[in-house]
Amino acid sequence: MTRAADALLLVALSATILLALLAGGPALTAADAARVLRGEGTEEAAVVVFHLRLPRLLLALAVGAALAMAGAALQSLLANPLADPFLLGISGGGAASATMAFAFLPMASLGLVPAAAIAGSAVATALVWWMASGPLGPSPTRMILAGVAVNAAASAVILVVLAATPSPRLPGALAVTMGSFAGATPGAVLWLLPYLVPPVAVLFHYGRDLGLLATGEESAATLGVDVGVVRRRVFLAAAALSGGAVAFAGIIGFVGLITPHLCRLVWGHSLRRLLPRAALAGALLCAAGDHLARVLLAPTEIPVGVITAALGVPFFVALLRRSA
Amino acid sequence: MALAPDVTEIVFALSAADRLVAVAETADYPAAASRLPRVDSTSVEAILAHHPDLVLATTAGNDPRTVSLLSSLGIRTCTVDPSSLERIAEGFRLIAEVLGIPDRGGELADSFRRRVQAASSRVRALTPKGGLYIVWWEPLIVAGPGTFHHDLLAAAGIVNLAPGGAGRYPRLNPELLLDHRLEVVVVPDDEDSRTGFARVAAAPVGRRLTSGQVALLWLPADPASRPGPRVADALEELVEKRLAGELALARPLNQGFVPRLSTPGASVP
Repeated sequence: MTRAADALLLVALSATILLALLAGGPALTAADAARVLRGEGTEEAAVVVFHLRLPRLLLALAVGAALAMAGAALQSLLANPLADPFLLGISGGGAASATMAFAFLPMASLGLVPAAAIAGSAVATALVWWMASGPLGPSPTRMILAGVAVNAAASAVILVVLAATPSPRLPGALAVTMGSFAGATPGAVLWLLPYLVPPVAVLFHYGRDLGLLATGEESAATLGVDVGVVRRRVFLAAAALSGGAVAFAGIIGFVGLITPHLCRLVWGHSLRRLLPRAALAGALLCAAGDHLARVLLAPTEIPVGVITAALGVPFFVALLRRSA
Repeated sequence: MALAPDVTEIVFALSAADRLVAVAETADYPAAASRLPRVDSTSVEAILAHHPDLVLATTAGNDPRTVSLLSSLGIRTCTVDPSSLERIAEGFRLIAEVLGIPDRGGELADSFRRRVQAASSRVRALTPKGGLYIVWWEPLIVAGPGTFHHDLLAAAGIVNLAPGGAGRYPRLNPELLLDHRLEVVVVPDDEDSRTGFARVAAAPVGRRLTSGQVALLWLPADPASRPGPRVADALEELVEKRLAGELALARPLNQGFVPRLSTPGASVP
């Protein structure tokens, strides 16, 4: 069953990648794009495929993987099925800071929006950790409550900023809060790597400990897990993954929440088995969502979060009902 | 009281500025408008503080809840809906009527319509070109059908490539900037647009814009963005630039215009 699911996941991912490169926009027919992939296309067509569609696809894959792994880690770390980068305020902090930068920075400095998002996510992460820390260290419940508070504050900041945004910039500022891969450049994908590779290494390193933590703090401690260290490092790793994702793609909901649950229903609870599958499934959800966001009303783009939710939620409900 | 800069311009054009007790904070044309008391058009209390007996608003920028709250408080309100060139002209007539000067409204509307027709007849013989009116470069947001910008393009002989049914100002796939159907891009000329263009022009997606395959027509930002009497100025300038571009083109740069505008997923032939 799980081997078949593995194969299905890889086939779906490969098909989505091919489809995104072949039929990703209005400037090129699928036949022209196929010629480019065979190394025969015109220079102009190659620009479309390699400079527009490929970075966009890579960004969607990377962000989807990052969000899904962050969600899987946070759900295990906090032993809470609702935990994800949004519930904990990390994405909200990044989005608030990015919206502020977009609304008020001089146009020439708009390249700094991702940096502002990273800084906002870092501040939100530090705030959640500080608010949740008591004499006995941060407990999962306190972390979630602190995250909810930070998230509410971030939403309030976004609303205030949008209200004060000069009207010519309003559509663009709104777009920042909606999430999109349209602004992907090869540079953005490279910039995302530091927020992707080390945190993933941390999550894999603590995979076993996280699995034990999900069964309860005390039992994990009796089995030799240094709960404080694991909690701090895994939380930071998940925050870096979420911050990187929101910096380069804005807020894309449901991927971090639903993908890990979906994968657990198919592959079970072992974090070492779950993390790579969650990464691939998150990548698939974002890449497929972005493809549909581009082609459903082409050349109009639909916010990708709408598509990821529309794809993920019914699938999740069906699996949940079947396994109940 | 006028709650938007374009409505303020209409009142001035009707020579009824003496009726204005306050204008929106963003109203800066004509220069005399800047000297009038300012009001935060989102604050009902600030509006009431000026004791207006008539509030003029627009669907293109004012919150309808503010206007309906003012109505429920017994203040006379009038909202124009400038979603096409004809509706802009209709707005002149409507505002003049509530101000009690219907003749002036009729004259202003007729003069506006005449100018639109005259400008549009100058490009009637030209082959229509596919184009976009750019509202924002990154993300790519354009004016779609159901906006006066759409009419502005049509009156200048430009077929809007923005699809219908996706909102008045849809966000488009930036790949459209590399589409061979795109021959003209119209942009309001302000600092944000210039800087945004510079960023797009430096990226691969801006190749057709910088190679001369797409004519880039900059319009003065306020006349082109505010649906008031100066839209006629913007149209006349757009037509001038379109004609100048035709003269400059010794040979066609594109393979011809293919009007497959509203087909989802339409591709290049």
